[in-house]
Amino acid sequence: MYETDKKERPQSASGGLGGSAIIARGAGKAYRMYDKPVHRLWDLILPGGPRGREFWAVRDVYLDIPQGATVGIIGENGAGKSTLLKLLTGITRPTVGEVETNGRIASLLELGAGFHPEFSGRENIRLNCSILGMTEEETEERFQKIIEFSELAEFIDRPVKTYSSGMHVRLGFSVATTVDPDILIIDEALSVGDEHFKGKCINRLNEFQEQGKTTLFVSHDMGSIKTMCKHVVLMHEGRVLEQGTAENVADEYLKRAHARGNEKLSAVNRTVDAYPRWGSGEVRTGEVELLGPGGERTNVFQPGSPFTARVHWEASGDCEEPVFGLGVYRSDGTYVNGSNHFWRREPIVLESVRAGSKGYVEMAFETLPLLQGAYYLTVFVYDHSKAAPTPIDHREHAAVFEVMDANHMQHGMLFLPTKWSVSVEGADTRSSDA
Amino acid sequence: MNRVVQNLLSSRRLLRDFVARDLQARYVGSSLGFFWSVVYPVINLAVYMFVFQYVMKATWRPDQGAQEVVMLMLVGIVSWSAFAETLGRGTNILVDNANLIGKLTFPTEILPAYVTVSALVNMLIALPIVLGALVWAMFFPQDDPALVARMAEAGNPGIVLGAAVLWLPLLLLLQAIFTAGVAYFLATFNLFWRDTFHVIGVATMVWMFITPIFYPPEAFVRPPFDFGWMLEINPMHWLIDMYRSALTKNAMPDPVMLAKFAGATAVTFFLGATFFDRQRDRFADLL
Repeated sequence: MYETDKKERPQSASGGLGGSAIIARGAGKAYRMYDKPVHRLWDLILPGGPRGREFWAVRDVYLDIPQGATVGIIGENGAGKSTLLKLLTGITRPTVGEVETNGRIASLLELGAGFHPEFSGRENIRLNCSILGMTEEETEERFQKIIEFSELAEFIDRPVKTYSSGMHVRLGFSVATTVDPDILIIDEALSVGDEHFKGKCINRLNEFQEQGKTTLFVSHDMGSIKTMCKHVVLMHEGRVLEQGTAENVADEYLKRAHARGNEKLSAVNRTVDAYPRWGSGEVRTGEVELLGPGGERTNVFQPGSPFTARVHWEASGDCEEPVFGLGVYRSDGTYVNGSNHFWRREPIVLESVRAGSKGYVEMAFETLPLLQGAYYLTVFVYDHSKAAPTPIDHREHAAVFEVMDANHMQHGMLFLPTKWSVSVEGADTRSSDA
Repeated sequence: MNRVVQNLLSSRRLLRDFVARDLQARYVGSSLGFFWSVVYPVINLAVYMFVFQYVMKATWRPDQGAQEVVMLMLVGIVSWSAFAETLGRGTNILVDNANLIGKLTFPTEILPAYVTVSALVNMLIALPIVLGALVWAMFFPQDDPALVARMAEAGNPGIVLGAAVLWLPLLLLLQAIFTAGVAYFLATFNLFWRDTFHVIGVATMVWMFITPIFYPPEAFVRPPFDFGWMLEINPMHWLIDMYRSALTKNAMPDPVMLAKFAGATAVTFFLGATFFDRQRDRFADLL
């Protein structure tokens, strides 16, 4: 790899835009799985092979990535994204087909790969630069920049083993992106590090784009893919399922994610009984149905879409003034909202409930104000006839749902109906209500 | 094989950096630091002299004093240590650097090469101490009259250090290439069969004991047994014999042994580097 890189480097540097940075023609990668490790050896020295089973991690990949493009690769775990990256970086060779690259590649498959824990940051920078193929002069020239970018100046003479994982990644990112590659390949690399450093990384990637460099970006996160990339490749079970503009492919991805998320969450919802539940038990809640825009059952919602939670209940004893309520929590335990049908300007009062009666209660949003993330519901029934409400049936984690956001127009937890206006002196003020 | 040599030549700087890091890594955090590289051979020398010269009074032939024998052992062990160290570390070197091979593109031939060079650098640090001991043995030989008489009778001048020392660079170079060839082969083979690493641990020990380091080569032929053929197929014996000629007898290495070792070196390196080069595309998959 390195040989060809060096040879082709001047050509690509002067070649500018227009050419292809990466071409894959029917590339596929098969791994051989052996029942016993020693079979690998038999295959090497004995005739009568090959033994073991073939496993195709990636196959039939056709790509033509023009120089200067920023391309996102998405797909669920095990879709072959990482293998594809290894093929494109030349770390491993395709079993069939071919992969052609033009220009020096910096791969951020693992930031700080090859750092030696006992050595100082300074020494590790030197060796890493050397491993990445920089000359001594290049290293010298960029040394200061690397340290500055990593913001680790005061730690640079301490052994890397004393660094936090965030610092480790910062140093790795600084080195890898300072080598001045023509093609930058990033595998989930930005998922670590604090917001401040993430911002710096994104700025640097933007600089790369402006300089007409090619960037390949692998992520699960549709949001960052959509903000960074115009072109997206969707991988599924080792094949390229779809490639095209970010909007089109992202929609396809979300559709699949919805289907998969529903499957997964339904399974989770069947096992939520493991969570704490308490109360006197005259009324017990049963199934919690989550209903989407058309009234169909789903566990995956989009921000702004209609949302209904329907809680079925059954009474085994008599009880006065039971009140049903729902608590919404984010997966990390943040209490988002709690409400019930009694504490309202127009309360609903159930005077009494007799043993054997049943029914359901519904809590609905016309437009779900939650943003991307996983959430769960806690369902409760309290007796409000006493001086202080007492629990009849309190059920934590009664249902789980996920909010997926294709558009990422707002960040955070809640969608807020913001209004914006922008004024420039001497010009009309422009405003936007939505 | 060509590609291995070319890449090694074009990545000299990386090789140097790896060797430097490796040497530093041994002593990083220790207070004596690099000085340990000197301490080890000195202690070694002292122990051999104490055990073989004073306690066991080892003699190989009637006309050889224990002092001379210790010097012969010392020359042998210095060369053997560098070889054995490379085998031990080199076999696992690709596995140990899986994170580099699986995540980066860089000239992998550096890895077995740096282990070889690093061991050789350690040998170079020990060599002046060995040479110092040889000079001492040359100017202060054992003065036991009976021994001196036997030596005169047999025409054994004792330890003689002279111009033949100039053979040293060539021998070191051959040793480096030979060792690297073995390391390339073992490092690659170990990816197919991880037991190699353990086999090599045992094999190196066996190999050491069937190489005349602590006993004279003549001991292989003691009628009715004749294990002389073992010497005929053991390149490390040829190498050590040549070191002994050049360093203790001021004599040119035996031309036959030189030719045989040069041949073995060429074949070993060719096979090792070719095997390595053929399989390199699969390294990331095999790890």
